[in-house]
Amino acid sequence: MRITQHPILTFERGKEINFTFNGQPMKGYEGETIAAALHAAGVKVLAKSLEKHRPRGFYCAIGNCASCQMVVDGEPNVRTCITLLREGMAVETQEGKGTIK
Amino acid sequence: MKNKADIVIIGAGMSGCSIAYNLAVRGAKNIVVLEKSFICSGSTGACGAGFRMQWGTEMNCRMSKFSTEFFEHANDILEYDGDIELRQSGYLMIADTEKELTQFRKNIEVQHACGIPSRMMSLEEAKELVPHLNTDILSGAAYCQKDGFLNPHKTTDAFYKAAKRLGVEFYTFTEVTGIKVEHGRIVGVETNKGYIETPIVVNAANAWSQGIAKMVGVELPLYSERHQILVTEPVEHMQDPMVMAFNLNLYVQQTPHGSFIMGRSDSGEPRDLRRTSSWHFLEEMAKTIDNVLPLIGKLRVIRQWAGLYNMSPDRQPIYDKVEGVEGFYVAVGFSGHGFMFGPVTGTVMSEMILGMEPTIDASRLKLSRFAEGNLFTEPSVV
Ligand SMILES: Cc1cc2nc3c(=O)[nH]c(=O)nc-3n(C[C@H](O)[C@H](O)[C@H](O)COP(=O)(O)OP(=O)(O)OC[C@H]3O[C@@H](n4cnc5c(N)ncnc54)[C@H](O)[C@@H]3O)c2cc1C
Ligand code: FES
Repeated sequence: MRITQHPILTFERGKEINFTFNGQPMKGYEGETIAAALHAAGVKVLAKSLEKHRPRGFYCAIGNCASCQMVVDGEPNVRTCITLLREGMAVETQEGKGTIK
Repeated sequence: MKNKADIVIIGAGMSGCSIAYNLAVRGAKNIVVLEKSFICSGSTGACGAGFRMQWGTEMNCRMSKFSTEFFEHANDILEYDGDIELRQSGYLMIADTEKELTQFRKNIEVQHACGIPSRMMSLEEAKELVPHLNTDILSGAAYCQKDGFLNPHKTTDAFYKAAKRLGVEFYTFTEVTGIKVEHGRIVGVETNKGYIETPIVVNAANAWSQGIAKMVGVELPLYSERHQILVTEPVEHMQDPMVMAFNLNLYVQQTPHGSFIMGRSDSGEPRDLRRTSSWHFLEEMAKTIDNVLPLIGKLRVIRQWAGLYNMSPDRQPIYDKVEGVEGFYVAVGFSGHGFMFGPVTGTVMSEMILGMEPTIDASRLKLSRFAEGNLFTEPSVV
């Protein structure tokens, strides 16, 4: 599902762009967040809980809960709900707490 | 609440809980600990959790060795149902001046004489140990594998529970508001929950200890000072030792959980009982970490907080029985290293109160040293 109407926000959808999710080619739009693009593509599990590895998905959507953290272009703990999609991004599910390089 | 006790301890931080346990384990009865807030609500719960044996005086080396050996077995000795999370993953002391390096070398001689396994470390080796360390700005390092950190909340909890099992009574949210003295002797303690008759009071109120001493007309030569600290988001394990620098002014450790805890000193901090946080600290800490351990600068800060150091003129604690007020004891003035000295504090104070032969010689830490101008100078304090 892609949100198109919202009581207080407007969505300016830009041009279609390509990115990858765990190596798989995906499409999204300029101007939307990574999590929004994944959600629209039917990807519901964004992360795994640290101890019991249970699925974690889109939750607060405002960058406060860490439920959507993924590895983006090699950088861990990126909050995909507030990070805008860019052409050619490599988005991956994060294993564990992430390693900074 | 009891209205009569043999010994009343004021403050349930690391010091108060360790004193209570050590008294009880040596057979003392009728001990009451009064805490104005909750257990570990003072500096102990706000601290950086580090312990080290890399000191520059023989006394501090001996004391910290005693503490370290206690921590190594604390889960068993205190029969703790949890884990104090001791990590002996080392302290890497870094220097950026020749002067500091010379001091490190001198300190290590003292440490070796006390059987402490510390050593100088080359910058190449330091870089291997902590790959994200910016060795370009450093002149050298010293290291002791047996130093490290442990969880202050759990460690205090371990002492608290062991003391409780031995019959010590703890009253939280009970604030001491006055101390009654008759004919130069302590006779009781006034609290917001009622009066307790007692011949002995132990002041373990750290930053608040000056106020407690005033209740019996004693001026302690101490001031309290804010120190700030922060914690980052967790990442996979990447740093073993506590990294500490005097001149570059920082300490930083990665907790078992994966978050980094870091702090620094600032001579501009208020000298009162404020425990608020400042932007200034956040900015200075960020600059420091970007300079010394740049990679960690990428992490997001989760939270920052502040605690209080209780500073003495020579940056050393006071363990004493106060002259002129019979029954008044102080274990105060830890100047930022009272957590790691906790096991020593309990041992020294309990033996002093019970008139037992001292296990550790702490006679250099008497209150009278200040009036006599006989200060104890430790070169390696933050
Ligand atoms: C940011 C920071 C980092 C630090 N890092 C380290 C470190 O890495 N290693 C180390 O060894 N030390 C460290 N310290 C120092 C260490 O925290 C203290 O020296 C130590 O915790 C003191 O323990 P305490 O039990 O004496 O005091 P506290 O833990 O402060 O306990 C005193 C208690 O007395 C209570 N109290 C006060 N007034 C009253 C009253 N009127 N009635 C009843 N109760 C009262 C308070 O509520 C408090 O709980 C650090 C301190 C800070 C602030
Ligand atoms: S969904 Fe909560 S931080 Fe992204």
